[in-house]
Amino acid sequence: MIGFDVTGFILSWAVFFSIYSILAISLNLETGLTGMANFGKVAFYGLGAYFTGYVSIELFLRLHGLDYPIYSTDAIVALGKLSAEQPSLNLSVFLLTLVGSFLFAGAIGFLIMLPALRVGPAFFGITVLSFGEMLRIFLRHYRAVGATYGLTGIPHPLAWVGGTFHKELGFALIALSLLIFTYIYAQRITNSPLGRLLKAIRDDETATLYLGKNVPIVKGKVLFIGSGMAGVAGCLYAYYLGSITPNAFLPAVTFEVWAMMLLGGVGNNRGAILGAGIVTFLDRSTAALNFIFPNLIIDPNFIRWMLIGMIIVVVLLFKPEGIIKEEYVWTPAWRLLEAKAEARRKAFKELVRRLIKRR
Amino acid sequence: MLTFLEFINAVWIGSVYFISAAGLTLSYRVTRILNFAYTNMITLGAYLAVILTLNGTGNLLVLIPIVFVAGSLLAIGMHYFVFSRLMSLKATPLMLMASSIGIWIFLKYVYYGIVGYLQRAWKVGLYQATPNLNLDWGLNAYGVELSGAFVASIALAAASILSLYLFLIKTRMGKALRAVADNPSLAEVSGIPSEKVMYVTWFIAGGLASLSGLMWALFSIVTPEVGDSLILEIFAVSVIGGLYSIPMTAFGAYVISGAENLLMPILHDTIGLEVSFRPFIAFFTLLVVILIKPPLGAAGALPYRFRLRRRER
Repeated sequence: MIGFDVTGFILSWAVFFSIYSILAISLNLETGLTGMANFGKVAFYGLGAYFTGYVSIELFLRLHGLDYPIYSTDAIVALGKLSAEQPSLNLSVFLLTLVGSFLFAGAIGFLIMLPALRVGPAFFGITVLSFGEMLRIFLRHYRAVGATYGLTGIPHPLAWVGGTFHKELGFALIALSLLIFTYIYAQRITNSPLGRLLKAIRDDETATLYLGKNVPIVKGKVLFIGSGMAGVAGCLYAYYLGSITPNAFLPAVTFEVWAMMLLGGVGNNRGAILGAGIVTFLDRSTAALNFIFPNLIIDPNFIRWMLIGMIIVVVLLFKPEGIIKEEYVWTPAWRLLEAKAEARRKAFKELVRRLIKRR
Repeated sequence: MLTFLEFINAVWIGSVYFISAAGLTLSYRVTRILNFAYTNMITLGAYLAVILTLNGTGNLLVLIPIVFVAGSLLAIGMHYFVFSRLMSLKATPLMLMASSIGIWIFLKYVYYGIVGYLQRAWKVGLYQATPNLNLDWGLNAYGVELSGAFVASIALAAASILSLYLFLIKTRMGKALRAVADNPSLAEVSGIPSEKVMYVTWFIAGGLASLSGLMWALFSIVTPEVGDSLILEIFAVSVIGGLYSIPMTAFGAYVISGAENLLMPILHDTIGLEVSFRPFIAFFTLLVVILIKPPLGAAGALPYRFRLRRRER
């Protein structure tokens, strides 16, 4: 256990937990609620990350009047100096890219709606999966975003804070607050009339269509929101690591998120967060295992991926509903009934108490 | 300029695509599962070819049945342990596909673990290996030289497709298989044991996948990622065939392989496109085919159309 940093472990786990929870919640909106198998989650995650990296580096360099190409060494050195100078610039670029990556990834997700309408759930999965792979291959060869080397030197929003610990803690808090915001937003959607419509589409698309609902547009909306959330997760990832390469966005990431959603509970946002917590903890602890015992017979990385594959199969076989079951939609009518029942219960208790007193 | 070698490669890779896509199409038609774990059968075939010929006395005729049966057993095991149970739980096609992805990841890293272990134990490089087969002979006719490995794999492909055809057309089981593929409920009512038919299908499909892995090993380097690098191309080929027709699958296989091996060098020479953009072609074809002419039924889609509503006058 020499040199194993417990606080660092917890902080990095908190950041990865937030990133993956946001991904799992967005996948849950698309797959758990609407029934669209999104096997290309990683594409939108990568789009968000690349948007963030590109825009923030470009803005930093151009606002300071430097015209190095973004993948040059000069640019990386300059970014390292510049990022600690103006806190207001750092934070405003962070906010801008956060919103921008939501809109950018969301818009592309909305365009993916076209194939979604033509083919059924399984083929939609394959279409989106191959879209993700195409995007990755494209990024690997596109010189403007650094090709195979990716983007390096993305200015950390809290680079001006002195001390690594405070910086990490601040970023973990930002990530966790974004997760809470996403959770509340997803919960509002789930418990709204839109949420009920989504569940109707999942359970019987034809019937929903014949009830006069515009199913294609609704699916497009959900893809916009879900992809936008994945974009936000990508934005956090880019800022946290400071450098991104195309090979960080392999299809395997999507399957990890699937394992989280299935393990936690399909159609339940809290379940998605729980699943993300468990899987990211496994992930981080195998990384720590690698650090503590350098010479294992099997690479801990392989064990981790085997576990993820096993989680998917075992959960589907033995507990298809996941750890937390899907809940009913919390509609205004339910709320009213619940309030009335609560009032009646109170009145009954009051009555009983009075009767006892009288005696 | 195009060389003769590029034509040879196009035919060779096209045959690999064809054999594996034929198995995929067959298994999808009968079981209605889009099986991503199909990659593992391909990788298994390729690795068995490497591991069984390590001492240098590999005989292709002995290797073929072993590889075929190993792939079949893997496929049957998957069906027995996972798919048949999920089917009896009335899982949706989506969840079947998700489970196949789980198996895919699990087995892929099991392979990585085993290969890494064997590499340490036997002290041979296995992460990037080629099989050791005595295929040094070649055919020389009309000034055209063909290597032994090429002739062997083309013969293997032709033989397996011919026997698949004869099986489907001539035998009783083949007819039952086609009946289940066309209409499962009607077949069930007519007294065809669909469970047994499914096992037979997996036997054939797994064997074909494994054989295509063997064919791949004859001309290329084997890594634990062989299946992964092929699977999206194979899906593209199957989708071009509409996941229905074997002749159309053959057409798709040779078109995609031709585009990758013949069109790509031309594009590289004329407009300077990098050769590593090669996988783009398959994905692009897949997207275009799915958008323009989705496969038959396309796994439960509603026929939405983007049409402007006509105003009534």
